[in-house]
Amino acid sequence: MDVYPRILSRIWGVPGSHTLAVAEQHGAYNAARKALAMSPAEVTDVVLKSGLRGRGGAGFPTGRKWTFVPPPEKRGGKPVYLLCNADESEPGTFKDRFCMWNDPHQLIEGMIIASHALGVRRAYIYLRGEFEYVQRRLDEALAEAYAKGYLGENIFGSGFSFDLYTHLGAGAYICGEETALISSIEGYKGQPRLKPPFPAVKGVWESPTIVNNVETLAAVPWIIENGWEAYKAIGTEQSPGTKLFSCSGHIMKPGVYEIPLGTPMMDLLNKWCGGLRPGRTLKAIIPGGSSVPVMTPAEVAQANMDYESINKVAGSYLGSGGFIVMDDSTDMVDALTNLLRFYAHESCGQCTPCREGSAWMYNILCRLRDGLATEDDLVALRDLADNIHSRTICFFGASAAMPVQSFVTKFRDEFVARVESARAGLPAGLAVAK
Amino acid sequence: MPLVKVNGIAVEVPPGTNMIEAAKKVGVEIPHYCYHPHLSVAGNCRMCLVDVEAGGRGPDIACNMAATEGLAIRTDTPKVTQMRKSVMEFLLVNHPLDCPICDQSGECRLQDYYMEYGQHDSRLADAKMGKGKRQDIGDQIVLDAERCVQCSRCVRFSDEVTGTGELRLFNRSNQTQIGIFPGVRLSHQYQGNLADICPVGALTLKDFRFKKRVWWLKESESVCGGCATGCNILVHHQENEVYRFTPRRNDEVNKSWICDQGRLSYKDVTSLKRLTGAKVDGQRAELPEAANAAALLLKGAKVGVVFGAKATTEANWAAVKLVRARLPNARAYVIEGNDPDAFTYQDEILVDSDKTPNRFGAALTASQLGSVGDAEALKAALASGEVDALLVLHDDVVGRLGVATPKALVYVGTFKNATSSAAAVVLPAAHYIEQPGTWINRQGRVQRLRKTVAPAGDSVADYAAVDAIGRAFGGAVIPEMPAAIFQELAAGVKALNGLTLKGLGHGGQLITLFAPSPGVDQPGQAAPAK
Amino acid sequence: MSHDQKSIHLRDMHGLTVRGPVEWTEEEKAEIAAIVAKYPTQRSAIMPVLWKAQRKWGWLQFEVLKLVAATLSLKPSEVMEVATFYTMFKKEPTGKYLIQACHTLSCALLGADRVIRHIETKLQLDEHGNSPDGKFTLMRVECLAACGSGPMMQINDDFYELLTEQKVDEILDAMAADRPLPVPRPEVDQWTYTPVS
Repeated sequence: MDVYPRILSRIWGVPGSHTLAVAEQHGAYNAARKALAMSPAEVTDVVLKSGLRGRGGAGFPTGRKWTFVPPPEKRGGKPVYLLCNADESEPGTFKDRFCMWNDPHQLIEGMIIASHALGVRRAYIYLRGEFEYVQRRLDEALAEAYAKGYLGENIFGSGFSFDLYTHLGAGAYICGEETALISSIEGYKGQPRLKPPFPAVKGVWESPTIVNNVETLAAVPWIIENGWEAYKAIGTEQSPGTKLFSCSGHIMKPGVYEIPLGTPMMDLLNKWCGGLRPGRTLKAIIPGGSSVPVMTPAEVAQANMDYESINKVAGSYLGSGGFIVMDDSTDMVDALTNLLRFYAHESCGQCTPCREGSAWMYNILCRLRDGLATEDDLVALRDLADNIHSRTICFFGASAAMPVQSFVTKFRDEFVARVESARAGLPAGLAVAK
Repeated sequence: MPLVKVNGIAVEVPPGTNMIEAAKKVGVEIPHYCYHPHLSVAGNCRMCLVDVEAGGRGPDIACNMAATEGLAIRTDTPKVTQMRKSVMEFLLVNHPLDCPICDQSGECRLQDYYMEYGQHDSRLADAKMGKGKRQDIGDQIVLDAERCVQCSRCVRFSDEVTGTGELRLFNRSNQTQIGIFPGVRLSHQYQGNLADICPVGALTLKDFRFKKRVWWLKESESVCGGCATGCNILVHHQENEVYRFTPRRNDEVNKSWICDQGRLSYKDVTSLKRLTGAKVDGQRAELPEAANAAALLLKGAKVGVVFGAKATTEANWAAVKLVRARLPNARAYVIEGNDPDAFTYQDEILVDSDKTPNRFGAALTASQLGSVGDAEALKAALASGEVDALLVLHDDVVGRLGVATPKALVYVGTFKNATSSAAAVVLPAAHYIEQPGTWINRQGRVQRLRKTVAPAGDSVADYAAVDAIGRAFGGAVIPEMPAAIFQELAAGVKALNGLTLKGLGHGGQLITLFAPSPGVDQPGQAAPAK
Repeated sequence: MSHDQKSIHLRDMHGLTVRGPVEWTEEEKAEIAAIVAKYPTQRSAIMPVLWKAQRKWGWLQFEVLKLVAATLSLKPSEVMEVATFYTMFKKEPTGKYLIQACHTLSCALLGADRVIRHIETKLQLDEHGNSPDGKFTLMRVECLAACGSGPMMQINDDFYELLTEQKVDEILDAMAADRPLPVPRPEVDQWTYTPVS
């Protein structure tokens, strides 16, 4: 295995890593001191040059996103807000939880630096409702930081004042979408909003807003401390740095792994995840959280863990890095039905194709799984997915459609077999003797 | 102004116009449910998805697309056809097959758009979602949550227009249901508009429930006479029977709204209080006979003419002509206030405190005769005997002033009231939807009335009733055709110079109410600054 | 972090309809004022205040929604709209121990369905997921971001991961007898990494 710096998982495993005392022993808040001595524009420039990309799923260059905030004279007197997206709800993804649980001060430090760059006075960490115990730990960390003067008025005597709060959600995957998160923290239903206007111009409380993922912000301190060249030297040209991959499913060593982007997918599977269970063969991998297209073993063999390769090889996405491995014991129809139940339940219900279509696709899949569907249903299923994709207010529509499109295309045999067993009057799942 | 293209046709529109309106300008209809010109943009129905040829990324919804230079959209591509078809399919998936019992049938966007853009065969093999039907949520409205397509128009209306926010979409995903907090009922004066804006039969008007299939109804334009706002309306009628009023869009007057009181005032047309026949001394008479009696009473008497804030401008003008021709020395009066039984509600949205639709019309015409007296002046004149005969147009003078009136009282009006009971001669005037004419609303907008159904009984247009008195004297005082009357009127009243009946169009025309120079056109009273 | 026994006892809302008047104490009003002060608008405090109300009254009855509305100068329908949108706001009472068991893909791949069926059988749950003595309520929920340690369940505020039928028995038996629970989340420190540079 190659040797490379641990950027995010720096002090994971160190007892008491979540406390300020231990974190500082390992260099916490050095980067913040350094950043507050730089000008905001310099900080943004460093992040931009580092090539850091959003780690929530979209992979948009973070530094570039920060430049979308209008200059002070064009803000209509509104303050700028930074919202940390800790709503981690994408099936297969659990890295942010570890980030915040093991090293909350790294996130806090990252937000101090980002807020200095953006001119933010008050920022919020939006946590999903189920992470209440994580919120408690974050609140303790915030209290420690406030007590030492690392938050609040005149941090490090730099003149920069900054307040950070946590905000708890209440069980809605859709609040991970940035405009839905904004809507939710404003006290409305977490329903995504039309763009334009774009959040960087008019977001939360009618003010310019930047929404960044936990992992993205947690990477900032290291970049400031070690310089953008050092970050860019890791990973690939277009996908620099390291990423946390949440690995689950039929593997020997599930967990969160920090590896450089560009690592071959087979290495992640075999070297870090310990490979498959004994006697099993690989059937499918979802590389970036359930919303991205599934990959076949042939595609897996060719792909590297970066934004470009996965898309080129398999038409899929790195996404949130939720790496779900399925071996040959998996029934793909069952798996897809399971996923669509998630989407049917989590649709916000605002726009027509997603609201009606997600549930309809789930219903068809249930009948398919139970051996009560026909060929027409299979055609309809594919059709519905195509009719939802890109026709909706937000990306959720595509997120529900892509699993259907990819599973039905790449594992067509299993779906057809279900239809044929239905026609033959056999119990679902029994193969038709040919 | 930016130049945009719709299906290759170029059109210049004000910057920021959304593309649904821009397309309308070149005759291209973009189907939509959630968009409404007088509500904020929601963009959730996805029916207005169009292809973007240039100046943006598509496909995208037209309702959220602001016109910018070089923007070009297309609605005639196979992609757009397919997108519309798929949205129709999604909308109908959980929609109950209520058409046979649903009031919206015939004016339902699901029906209309299905016929035009859908026409798919159903491939639904699962059960439909059931939700709460037939819920009584207000005095005017019935809610059927199953029929709802979650367009959120009613939610936005309740937030943005009435500010009451009762209606909300609860839950999420396909459990999303329109509803109201338990125990809360709609209590505002604009409930009927919810039925108008609901594109399907989820919100329907109790008053119209199961009454008439809309395809039998003819629509004619008119203006509501409930107050000085003058909301534009459509009168829906079949074979001379009126079934409902609905608001007619006028961006300058009432947008797309009307208050419930005005909406339901169509019932007045068939009220038992209608004056349907002429009367002389309490006895039923023919119109010419009554007109003769009226002429006899007024001839040579000390006449006071009470100009009508509820009468048409034409009727008031006829009174002016009558006075000039036959009743020299007659005095003009315009009585302020409302009739005793008038609806007292008023608000900042639409409902004015002045419950008369044509106060300015009365004032402008009355001032043709010189100085115009008010209630006090009339009371004094009656008491002193300076006025011993009255010609009253529409206003319930007796009810408002509470004074004893002279025996020689000629009343031209539509409804029985204290004045009509005390009158020696009653000439029945048609309801304002039964006759042509004009009114001037609180903004100074001259708006047209039209004859939508035949006058009830023996009633005639109010200006015709006044003219009948003139004929009884020996000759007509105004022309016969409404256009000619208006022409004369416009020529005679300075503020109306240059207007023609045709030129008033569908939305009326604004006039300047206060002439800079004192003299001829002095309104009888100060107008509220509106 | 030590296991907080107290939080489970406070949740004894078995069979509770509104006890006494629905109002805040002075102390609670001060806490709410502090919450509101965190945000630029009053409306933003709606979620933290709903959480507070749910902790106090167990679930969000209409009277409670009205109180929250009055507290933040909102309409009851607006508060109800928000409360019904989010699944964690309870619209009906649940048992003393609310078990939320994940059944999304990663947990399902590792046998979550079997574990959940075991819980249902063991606790004799009815169609609403409530046990006969009202002590337990089971809800099947979507991904709780513990995919690497599935099958798992959240009981009140705590995650219990890497479940087997045996482990489930251990935990549920302790809860039924109101004994101290096995420490949750020992697996929470589960992560791995490659050697540092």
